[in-house]
Amino acid sequence: MGQTWRRTLAFGLAFVLAIAGTFVFAYRAGRRARHFRAENEPIRAWMTVPFIAHAHHLPAAVLFQAIGVDPQKPRDRRSVRHIAHDLNRPVPELIAQLQRAIDAAAHPPGGQPR
Amino acid sequence: MNDQLLAAVSQYGAPALFGIVAIAAIGVPLPITLLLIIAGSMVSQGAMNLWWTVGAAGAGSILGDQAGYAIGRWGGPAVVTKLSHLFGKRASLPAVEAKAKAWGGPGIYITRWLLSPLGPWVNLASGTAGYPWHRFLFWDALGEITGAAVYIGLGRFFSDRVMSLYAVLGDLTWAIAALLAAIILGWQLLVHLRRAGVR
Repeated sequence: MGQTWRRTLAFGLAFVLAIAGTFVFAYRAGRRARHFRAENEPIRAWMTVPFIAHAHHLPAAVLFQAIGVDPQKPRDRRSVRHIAHDLNRPVPELIAQLQRAIDAAAHPPGGQPR
Repeated sequence: MNDQLLAAVSQYGAPALFGIVAIAAIGVPLPITLLLIIAGSMVSQGAMNLWWTVGAAGAGSILGDQAGYAIGRWGGPAVVTKLSHLFGKRASLPAVEAKAKAWGGPGIYITRWLLSPLGPWVNLASGTAGYPWHRFLFWDALGEITGAAVYIGLGRFFSDRVMSLYAVLGDLTWAIAALLAAIILGWQLLVHLRRAGVR
């Protein structure tokens, strides 16, 4: 009898946990989906400059210019980490510079926000 | 290492995608969903061709899955246990094997894309359980092509929101996994209570 009760309790607890998990993750997914367009896409070291430019609706040339890089090809596929290595600069510093260029393009001084 | 793999896909395109998804399908834990979404975004930017990308992702995954199945089939449980230790995973093979037998084709299909973390284990278990190879290949190919088309399609459609999309999909996958667990546990609880009531 005691073993049956313990098994029922274990099944019940696991069931309640699974239901709670469903609601927690569904709520989180819903909340993220609601703010989907408003959230700022983070810059990661693996991203290429054209990839970052696309995510922020900017011409890649603006970002290349901001970090002082002359693109190697019409479509320079080097990652931020790769460019930082080529320039002998720290990755976080290059990411910060790209972010400042994106912010400046979104809010130009004396102009309308993009 | 994930950063380097993501950069490799951005830099080398479909061939890199093919190699990485094949390795992941054998059981190496890599962020494949994110890779496919990124590939979709690159298709939208004109940096990759849609059909080559879906083909490379599908073919790479199928190749890796077939290798997993072959390891399970001809290597046996001893090799599978060694592999699970190598990759730092402790999945219970008999449990996955029982699920593979019970769920059959639809189980193989769904673990290709919706519950993809279980995929490599289902490959090995299908091999050790002696699941017919031609059926495994059919459901595997169907699932992998579905997965590649869905995630690359999503990445293409939301090409400027790759990281946000990945975060939403991550939570959604966990919600679906928890819901499936709740359904299975609820059913078992019901059966258990009925049996206890009969006694």
